[in-house]
Amino acid sequence: MSFNVLIVDDSNSMRAVIKKIISISGFKIDQCIEAVNGKEALEALTDNWVDVIMSDINMPEMNGFELLKRLKKDNLLKDIPVIMITTESSEKRMQDAFNLGVKGFIKKPFLPEEIRKILYEVIGVNDEGTYEEDRGDDEAFDF
Amino acid sequence: MMKEHMKKIEEMTRHSIFEVFEKMFYVFLEHLDGECGEYDMEAAIRFEGFMSGEIRILLSMDIVKAMIHNMLGLKEDEITIQRMEDCSKEAVNVICGNFLGQLDSAKVFNLSAPIFKEQPGDLELTENACRMDFDSDGGKVGLIIKVKG
Repeated sequence: MSFNVLIVDDSNSMRAVIKKIISISGFKIDQCIEAVNGKEALEALTDNWVDVIMSDINMPEMNGFELLKRLKKDNLLKDIPVIMITTESSEKRMQDAFNLGVKGFIKKPFLPEEIRKILYEVIGVNDEGTYEEDRGDDEAFDF
Repeated sequence: MMKEHMKKIEEMTRHSIFEVFEKMFYVFLEHLDGECGEYDMEAAIRFEGFMSGEIRILLSMDIVKAMIHNMLGLKEDEITIQRMEDCSKEAVNVICGNFLGQLDSAKVFNLSAPIFKEQPGDLELTENACRMDFDSDGGKVGLIIKVKG
């Protein structure tokens, strides 16, 4: 099973690094869409469906918190899990983000296994990359 | 008192630069006793909170190329000055975030946008500042931290 990921970061290099680390981690990407800020991310979401959004916080034009607020107001987009990628992880800022509906945090610098773990957690898949609920269904029909 | 305070800050910053260079750029640093004057560029970031200040990293051309190569798998002829700027700014941003997390993870700090200079600026140290220099297989890196409050 592979997934569509939206990476939102104003640094070209950081987007490339995130993409590379996800790929090394073994997490299977079908389509990887990139945006330089929240505004561009919302535009990308009008034409593309993604399974998860990985977003930086501090970005020009529209930061990660504003993006999160806009997503939560949109009935079509509100359930897409968002992981915040951050350099600063003060407890207050993390709590603010969780209150806004963020599903997970990953602090830079991060290792491939850390990124895979959080991606699987927020999407709700197990280590084999299949949905937890699917596994239950399969077992139910396994006569 | 201030000397002791600066020593703690120096230890935390050293931990941050080691961790960031190892985990993000796969570069293993070795602390140098003396100062190294062979730097080609710098990136700096300011932070504000219960303690405010600035972190600057000084980089040799070789180490920036090694960082980009290790991080993105780019060959030397694919490494542009824009990539170097991006990479240096990202490095100082992550080092600063790591340092502030160690300083007090319960407190909120505001970080400025990192700035990049193709030539290092003034390296003179004031009273509330310290400088560290490091060597690696990939090249040299220095760090200056200045605090107030």
